[in-house]
Amino acid sequence: MSEQEIAERIAKFPGADVEVLRKGQIAVKVPAEKGHDAAAYLKKMGFAHLVAVEYVDWIKENEFELVYNLFSYKMKMRAFLKVRIPRDKPEYITFMDLWPIAMTHEREAHEMMGIVFRKNPNLTPFILEDWKNLPPMRKDFDSRKYVKDKYDSIPFAEGGEQ
Amino acid sequence: MKEVDLFFGPQHPGITGNFSVRVKIDGDTVVKAQAIPGFLHRGFEKLMEMRHWMQGPPLICRICVPDADHSETGYSMAVERLAGIEVPERGKYIRALTLEMSRLSAYLFYFAGYGGSIGLYTIAQWAIGDRDYLLDLYEELTGARVYHIFNFPGGPRWDTPEGFEDRVDKVMDYLEKRLKEYDKLYFNNMVFLKRSQDVAVMKKSYAEKMEVTGPNARATGWAIDVRKDDPYAAYPDLDFELITQDEGDSYARVMQRRLEFQQSIDLVRQITKKLRSMPRGNVRLIPNALHWKIPRGEAYAAVESSKGELGYYVVSDGGISPYRMQVRGPSISHGVQVYEEMIVGQRLADVAALMFSLDVCPPDIDR
Amino acid sequence: MVDDEKIVSEDMGVQVEKNENMEMRSFGTVKRWATKRSLWMVHYCTGCGGIELAPLMTSRYDMERFGMHPMVTPRQSDVLLITGYVNIKTLKRIIRTYEQMPDPKYVIAFGSCPINGGPYWDSYATINHLDKYIPIDLYIAGCMPRPQSIVRAFEDLMDMIQDGTADGYMRYKKYYEPYKANQEKIFRKWW
Repeated sequence: MSEQEIAERIAKFPGADVEVLRKGQIAVKVPAEKGHDAAAYLKKMGFAHLVAVEYVDWIKENEFELVYNLFSYKMKMRAFLKVRIPRDKPEYITFMDLWPIAMTHEREAHEMMGIVFRKNPNLTPFILEDWKNLPPMRKDFDSRKYVKDKYDSIPFAEGGEQ
Repeated sequence: MKEVDLFFGPQHPGITGNFSVRVKIDGDTVVKAQAIPGFLHRGFEKLMEMRHWMQGPPLICRICVPDADHSETGYSMAVERLAGIEVPERGKYIRALTLEMSRLSAYLFYFAGYGGSIGLYTIAQWAIGDRDYLLDLYEELTGARVYHIFNFPGGPRWDTPEGFEDRVDKVMDYLEKRLKEYDKLYFNNMVFLKRSQDVAVMKKSYAEKMEVTGPNARATGWAIDVRKDDPYAAYPDLDFELITQDEGDSYARVMQRRLEFQQSIDLVRQITKKLRSMPRGNVRLIPNALHWKIPRGEAYAAVESSKGELGYYVVSDGGISPYRMQVRGPSISHGVQVYEEMIVGQRLADVAALMFSLDVCPPDIDR
Repeated sequence: MVDDEKIVSEDMGVQVEKNENMEMRSFGTVKRWATKRSLWMVHYCTGCGGIELAPLMTSRYDMERFGMHPMVTPRQSDVLLITGYVNIKTLKRIIRTYEQMPDPKYVIAFGSCPINGGPYWDSYATINHLDKYIPIDLYIAGCMPRPQSIVRAFEDLMDMIQDGTADGYMRYKKYYEPYKANQEKIFRKWW
C-alpha cells in the first residue's frame, strides 16, 4: 500500500488531520480529547508498535506537543500521532493500556517536560536526581544560566576564591 | 525467609557501564527489581538546541559509547531527510562500511562482557584484543579510536585511503578465523551452555508486547530489522537474510550475535568488493556548515544499532539549530521495564549476566 | 604541595618532628616505593572513558605490567580513575566511593570533561570542574585519551607518589570544609 492510500484510510477517523511527510512517514494530528481513540484506531489498523513518545515544547503557541511514534512492521510505515495539550495545564491520559512500554516513555516525559499522565502509576523520578527546578527540556529553562549559577567558577585549589 | 534489599551498582564490575539495579532477594532468588538509570545523563536533547546543525555529530556520537557510528549516522539521516539531501552512492557504501564495522566491534565487546560476567575471562581477553584490530582500521579511516565523528549530514567526511579495502578484508579474514576458535572456547563451552540455556526466556509475544527490538527480538523468532524494514545507507543493495532463533533464552541471544557477527563479516566483504569497483572521490555533499538552515518540519530516522532500533526525531523551525531533537535509545525498551520484569525469579548471579545478555547500554537510556 | 607537616606526618603513621631523622625519612621512601608498585584501581566506569579501560586491562595494553589491577571494592583500592564526564547523580557516588577508600588514595581524571566540562560545558546535568568537589592528582587531557596516555599517566603518578607530590588526599583533609561546602551546594540531600 502506498502512503496516500494509508493516509486516506487514517483520514476516515473523525477529526484527524493527515499529512504525508515523506516516503514511509505520515503525520496524524488529532484533538487532544480524541488522542486515545485515535491511537486505538491506528493500532487496530496495523500501527501496532509504539517506538517512542516524543514531546515538543511549542512555547510561542503556549502548547506542548506529544508525538506518539508508531510503526507498522506489516506496512513498513511510520505514523506520528500528534496531540497538543495546553502548557498551563500539562495533563494527559496514559496509553499504557494500549502499549505497556508507554509507562517508561511517559515517565521520562513527566520528568523532562513536566507532563502529568493520568492513571500512570509510575511517574517517579527516573533520570534526574534531586531536581527542583523547571523540567529541563522546557524552552524557558535556560541551561547556560543554570550552569553558571551552579557550577561555574575557578577552583580554589587553582587560585580561585575559597 | 527474610527478604533483603540489595543495591547492585553503580560501582560494580558486573554492570554494563554506569547503571544501578535495586533488587529484593529471597535467599538468592530475585523477587523484585528496580532499574535506576540516569548516571550517564548529559542532556543531549537540550544541548542540541544550543548547537548548529553541523555541530550535531561531534556531540551526538557519544550517545552509545561502544557503537558510536550508529548514533551519528542516525542523526545525520534525520537531518538529510529534513533537508532533502541524497548522499552520493559511494558515500552510502562508506557509511554502511563504518556501520558494519561498528557492529562488529560492539558484538566483540558483547562477547567479552558476557564471557566476563559468567567467569570466562579468556574470551574477554581475546575479544577485546581482536576488537583493537577494528579500532586500528577506524583510526586509519577517521583518525580516532572510539568517537569517529565521521558520518555527517551529507555523507562521510572523506573517502577511504588508498588500499583501505584490502586491509579491511584482511582483518575480516582474521576475524573469521578467530570465530572458529571462539566456537571451540566459548560457544561450545560447558560453562557457557549451563549458565545460559533456559535462563531468562523471552517469548515472542512478550517481545512484541514490550517493543523489544534488535538482536534480542530476533532471538525470540521475531524477524524485524530496521535495515530491512526501513532501509537506509547501502543496505537496500546488499544481499543478506535476517537470522532468527526460536528459543529466546540467554543462549539464543548470544548465539544470535554470534551468527550476526558472521553475517556482518559477509556484509563488509560485499561492501569492500563494491567499493573497489566504484570511482573514487565523490562521497559527500557539503552544505555551508555554520549558516546552514534546514526547512521547517519534522523527521524521524532510525538505524539498526547493535542493540536495536536507535531513532532520532528532529524538529526544525527553519533556524540554524534544531528546535527539538529526541533520541529513542534501543535500551529504553529492553533495559528498564523488560529487564525489571525478566530478572524476577532469576538467581542473583544472573543479575549481571542477564544485563549483559540483553546488551543493556545505559548511556542510550540516559542520554 | 601542602606544606602542612602535621598532616603529612600523621598520615605516615609515624609521629615525626619537623627535623625528622634519617631513618624515618628512609622509611617513608621505602613505603612510597612499595605503594607505587602495587596500585589497585577501583573498577568504576563513571563515564564514556570506561570503554578504553577494557583494552587497557586486557592483553594489548595490559596495565598489570605496572602492578595495577582493577579492584571491585573501594575499601581495598588506591586509585580512583574518573573516566569522562561526571553527572551529578554519579558525582554523589564518586564522593561516597572516594571517602570509603583508605589513605593514601589518588585520583586520576580522564578526558576533557572533568577538567572544564568538555563538550558538555553548558549541560545542566554535568559538573564542569571536578576539582571543586574532590582533589585530583593527575589529569589526562583529550577526548578520548588513548590507552597509551593512560599508561603514561600511571607512570607519572608513580613518580609523583615517589616524590610525595601526589598529595590529593591530604588536600582533601586540609580543605575539607570548602570541599564539603561545594558539594553541598549542588546536592540537596545525601540519599
